[in-house]
Amino acid sequence: MGRGRRTRLSLMPTDFESVELIGGGEEEVSLLDILDHVLNAGVVIHGSLVISLAGVDLVYVGLNVVLTSVETALRSLQVEEKRGPK
Amino acid sequence: MSRALVYCGFQHATQLSLPAAGVKAAPVRVLGQGELSLLWSDVEWPFDPARMQRSAVEFHGVVHHVFNQAAVIPFRLLSVFEDEAALKAFAAEHRERFLEDLDRLKHFVQMEFVVYPAPGRAQPDSSSGKAYLEQKAGMTRAIEQHVGNVRDALGELSRQVVVREAKSGHRVFVLVERGKEEIFRETVKSVGVPETLSRRTSGPWPAAEFLSERVKMPQIAGAK
Repeated sequence: MGRGRRTRLSLMPTDFESVELIGGGEEEVSLLDILDHVLNAGVVIHGSLVISLAGVDLVYVGLNVVLTSVETALRSLQVEEKRGPK
Repeated sequence: MSRALVYCGFQHATQLSLPAAGVKAAPVRVLGQGELSLLWSDVEWPFDPARMQRSAVEFHGVVHHVFNQAAVIPFRLLSVFEDEAALKAFAAEHRERFLEDLDRLKHFVQMEFVVYPAPGRAQPDSSSGKAYLEQKAGMTRAIEQHVGNVRDALGELSRQVVVREAKSGHRVFVLVERGKEEIFRETVKSVGVPETLSRRTSGPWPAAEFLSERVKMPQIAGAK
C-alpha cells in the first residue's frame, strides 16, 4: 500500500475507498467487505438490554481505525458493565 | 460473563442445513418463535479485540451458511442480548415484522457496485477554488452518468435500487432475484468504465439495505 493511499484513506473515510484498498479485482470479496457488512448492514439494536456498536461507520475509516475504535468501544463497554445495570 | 449474540433471522424450514459452530467455536443455537428462527450463540463478553477480525469472519460464515440457502435478516456483529430470555422477548415482539420482510425478500439477494474516481488518474486542480469545485462537479456528473448507464443496462433485472452518495463517489445497492447474480455481474461488466472512474462489484449479500426501517432499527421495550 503506497503512502498516497494511506493519506487519502485517513482524509477521506468513505466506504468504497476502504473496500478498494483491500480488494484488487472488480469482484473480489475482501476481508473489509466482510467487516463492512457485518458491522454496518443489518438489524441495529438499541436499548439498555443490548450493547451495540452498530450504526457507527467504524469500518469506513479503515481496518486499523476499526480495530482501534472497537477497542475503545469495548473499553467503555467494560466500564459500563462494571457500573452495573441502570 | 456471557451474552447472547444473534447472527440472523430466517423463515423456519426443516430442510435448511444450519452451521454447528459460530464465533469462537461457540455452538450455534436456534430460537424458534413461530415461523421465525433466530440463530444465536452464548459468547464470552466483551469480545477479545485481538481476534475481532476473526470473529467478524466467523460471524459472516454463520450468516452466509444460511443465506446460501434462503433469505436471512442479518444482525450486526456486536449486537448482543443479555441472555436467552431477552432474545426470546425480542423475537416475540418483532416476529411479525421480521416475517413480513422475510416473505417480501425471500426470492432476492443484494448485489452492489461502487463507482469512484480512478485512483491516481486526476490530480486535484488546486489552481483556484473555482477550478477545484468545477473539477469536483465534473467528476460527480461523470459518476452519476455512469451509475445511470449501469442502471439502464440492468433494467428489470434490478427490482429495487438504492444509491448512496459518499464523499467522492456512489455506492449502489441492487435487489436482484436469487439465481441471477451472474447475469447481474455480466451486465454490469458489459458497461464500459470511463478512464477517469473505477468500479467495483460485490455480492450476493443478504438484502439488508432493503429491510423495512422498523426491522432495521427495532424499538426495544424499555430501551433508553
